[in-house]
Amino acid sequence: MEVFISQIFTGLSIASILLLVALGLAIIYGSMGVINLAHGEFVMLGAYATWFLQQYAGIGLIPSLVLVFLMVGSIGWVIERGIVRHLYHRPLDTILATWGIGIMLQQLVRLTAGAELRYVELPESLSRSVDLLGINFSVYRLFILLVTGLLILLTWLLLMRTEYGTKLRAITQNREMAECSGIDSQRIFGLTFAFGAGLAGVAGSLVAPIKSVSPDMGTHYVVDAFMVVVLGGVGSVAGTAAASGILGEVTAGMAYLLNDTLAKVIVFIAVVMLIRFRPQGLFSQLVRK
Amino acid sequence: MMNSKSLRTLIGYTIFSAAVLLLPLLIDDAYTLNKFSRYLILGLATLGLSLAWGYTGILNLGHAAFFGLGAYCMAMYLKLQTVPVHTGTGGLPDFMVWNNVEQLPWFWEPFHWSYLAITAGIGIPVLLAVMLGWFVFRARIAGVFVAIITLAMLVIINLLLIDQQRYTGGFNGITDLAWLTIGGIEFDPYSKTFYYLSAGSLVVCLLGTGIFTHTKAGLILQAIRNDPDRVRFLGYDVSAYQILAFALSAGIAGLAGMLYAMVLEFASPTFVGVSLSLSMVIWCAVGGRGSLLAATLGAILVNAAQGSLSENFLETWQLILGGFFVLIVLFLPKGLISIGELIRWRRKRTDRVQVQVLSSTKRARGIS
Amino acid sequence: MAINRRSFLKGAAGAAAAVGFPHIWVKDLGQAYASGGEIKVGVLYSLTGTTAVVEKSLHNATLMAIEEINAQGGINGMKITPIVEDPASDPATFSDKARKLVMGDRCVSVFGSYTSASRKAVLPVFEKRRNLYWYPTLYEGRECSKNVIYTGATPNQQQKDFIPWLTENFGKRFFLVGSNYIYPKEENNVCKILLEQLGGEVVGEEYVPLGHSEFSSVLNKIRDTKPDVIFSTVVGDSVIALHRQYKSAGFDPEKMPMASLTTSEVEIAAMGGEYGAGHFTSAPYFMVHESPENEKFVESYKRLYGADSVTHFVSEPAYFQVHLFKQAVAKLAASDISPENIRDAVQGEELMAPQGLVGIDGENLHTNLWPKIAVCQSNGQFKVIKQSAERVRPLPYWAYQGQSCTASGLKGA
Repeated sequence: MEVFISQIFTGLSIASILLLVALGLAIIYGSMGVINLAHGEFVMLGAYATWFLQQYAGIGLIPSLVLVFLMVGSIGWVIERGIVRHLYHRPLDTILATWGIGIMLQQLVRLTAGAELRYVELPESLSRSVDLLGINFSVYRLFILLVTGLLILLTWLLLMRTEYGTKLRAITQNREMAECSGIDSQRIFGLTFAFGAGLAGVAGSLVAPIKSVSPDMGTHYVVDAFMVVVLGGVGSVAGTAAASGILGEVTAGMAYLLNDTLAKVIVFIAVVMLIRFRPQGLFSQLVRK
Repeated sequence: MMNSKSLRTLIGYTIFSAAVLLLPLLIDDAYTLNKFSRYLILGLATLGLSLAWGYTGILNLGHAAFFGLGAYCMAMYLKLQTVPVHTGTGGLPDFMVWNNVEQLPWFWEPFHWSYLAITAGIGIPVLLAVMLGWFVFRARIAGVFVAIITLAMLVIINLLLIDQQRYTGGFNGITDLAWLTIGGIEFDPYSKTFYYLSAGSLVVCLLGTGIFTHTKAGLILQAIRNDPDRVRFLGYDVSAYQILAFALSAGIAGLAGMLYAMVLEFASPTFVGVSLSLSMVIWCAVGGRGSLLAATLGAILVNAAQGSLSENFLETWQLILGGFFVLIVLFLPKGLISIGELIRWRRKRTDRVQVQVLSSTKRARGIS
Repeated sequence: MAINRRSFLKGAAGAAAAVGFPHIWVKDLGQAYASGGEIKVGVLYSLTGTTAVVEKSLHNATLMAIEEINAQGGINGMKITPIVEDPASDPATFSDKARKLVMGDRCVSVFGSYTSASRKAVLPVFEKRRNLYWYPTLYEGRECSKNVIYTGATPNQQQKDFIPWLTENFGKRFFLVGSNYIYPKEENNVCKILLEQLGGEVVGEEYVPLGHSEFSSVLNKIRDTKPDVIFSTVVGDSVIALHRQYKSAGFDPEKMPMASLTTSEVEIAAMGGEYGAGHFTSAPYFMVHESPENEKFVESYKRLYGADSVTHFVSEPAYFQVHLFKQAVAKLAASDISPENIRDAVQGEELMAPQGLVGIDGENLHTNLWPKIAVCQSNGQFKVIKQSAERVRPLPYWAYQGQSCTASGLKGA
């Protein structure tokens, strides 16, 4: 029983990290149709930004989250303005361009911050574990769960309850009509890309303390995050959350019963099956194409 | 039916084939020749990709899976040729002995025979492509979803190859291979014989696919790329044609993979890696996805550039390469081959504006 | 000059002969390797890609040794010229670059590789082109090439003292966790043989994909089985994730330490000392080792590459193997310098390395080393708690009875 509960928790914990990474990707893909293969690199930049702030400005993990969001977000904005916006009418080409951007970002970081692995210090209060009902929980993993929950809530509010969100949804549903009614789609897309990049940055700073920080850390995340987005369905925050939950729990369960490699294989086969029989994803919003 | 475009294509094919076949007359050192063999083999793999992507509009991010399966088939055969030299006991490949395997697994048995191995090297990728194609295209899955499914397939095969170390050599792959000998001819990867094998395969496949794209079936493929629904309305079985192109593309990749295992003298799970697979897509885009020859040239050029760049700019070559890709995608969406077109376009600026107006009205009407 | 028909035909026939016969491919093998007062060597460590983190330090240590030798006047008056390539952590690129160094640049030796996969990828080039590869990494053994000098530890050198010491101090129930490839599996084979002799028990065995960073499920299994020791052969950045998640899962190194063959100062520096503290590593070299040679090595390294840079049990062999190369070449006349003569000259050669007096085995081309057991401390450095009383011979086929690597190749296979 204890094992069962701690495996469920493990699954949730994996899911929360997946969700953190996938959320930004889902928003960018869902609203703009851009397949951002540099998303993993935004995660990496977030981790490095956290390390940098801690190392040279002495700013701890929690206060740095906001700064990292702004830093990576502005990098995302520059990339959108400079490159991605030229490709909206050729969505498949965004795969190629963003892959090139990813390579460049990796190498830039390697040249400036060094090829060494870096690490991010955890606040003392978070680095412990607590016993609840006789089961051991890592405080930091609980913290990640909490932050993920908050970010989901914030994102949902932003999309559903603000003017920006309304405009973005309008553009997503019908860009030409939205433009005709005076919405500046260019500006909204720039902000959206920045927002998605910023979320990836926050994901990076949150995983940095339990994983390692290296220039190529992002490549591990991007494929998994894509599976989440596709599984969840385009343009649905709730779908993305549910999909990460499912993938996290299945991965954790299979990893416990079999091993980590086979767990991944099974999850990928399941995703392929799902796309085949339900390409719109588990929870898709109605979108007029 | 020979218009000026077909004529230009024909001239291009002829020049390229002649250049590739005559190259050994100019180069007489084993290293350079070996290097060029490798480039041509990667060009061959990219040719296959361009048939599926550029011609039929199937963006296959898992092309390296077909390539890698071909490589493993060849490596399995060549590995068994080294038995018993590199084994511990019982006529088993060395890595199996290390993993405490006691008997050669049944699916290794056919790889004692070169003809079966070569058939498998092309046949298994084709079979996989037909199955996957049937699974995907019958359901009218298209665009991004095809990209994601093929990517997932690639990752699955890669993980299985690494995980099933007992039978596949795991992360290290299959190493210590013999040289292929068929009919008394030994294909030493540093020799002209081997160069001609790679160059010959490339030229035959290039001409073969070139002719194929000019047949009726080839034209239907291009029509599918442009608008699958209209082709369907005209009564064609779109998915059958897609499967055909996908299978051909996989077969060519399998052939390239077999040659690749021979030239590098090992097979590794990185041949089935995401990074190689995406690289192939990039090579194709750099050369020009819409032309078989351009895609092939793209692969050769990028690899040659990568080789010499990394020698001179150790720390920054990836930066340069990444930037180069981004620029190509932004400004030359049809690849380097379209530089000429771009210049002609500039001259006929008025035409270009008209085209833009047309395409934006089309977009506004939701047609494109 | 007028060309008459006869001379044209003769020329054409000559050209055809040159093209048609294979002897042309080996024509330059007779050419001397050392010419113009320089000796060309290849340096083949990844500067980009996944293993660049460690390989960059090997690259640095190698170049430092070459500079030292050149500053002291080179080898018999000849300078060593390093030709640096970046194989980008990709086996195919390794193979390609090895060809370039061996055949294109005609290097007399190449120093390189961290992973077994990359060594396996370049092996055919060195064996078929009869060149010499210097491999500094500890590895799984079971290789007996006559074209590789192995200066890292073999399983017997790392484990023979380590496992008995662990069972005495912590207990006999081991949980084995490793990355999913040949090195961890082979080390675990050896570990299981040793445990069986000692009456120990393996309570679990787990392999995670390379680059894996999610150890929750593995840690849950460990929590279930309650072993005395976690024997880890996890490599690369997974090591950092494992240690960090071990601590946040609330485990205590006092009761259930991780015993590793792969955790060095590099990984500790990347995870932070407090995560490594209390865990054990067995290796022939640690940065804190006290010897005049090591002081000099660490000091020069820090001067060149920064005060916070670390040396470790792979960068040390990467460093001393260049000096061994120098000793071997110095024994040869300039006209005799060739890969195979260097290999013959280096057998039995000894050198005061930072870790102690090391020597190349005359039989199997591996290296006689000084295994040590150390515990990690919270300042990120190790404390050596046990050093082997005598130098330990490398036995690449230790776990396989009846097999041994001899001067004439593998015996008993």
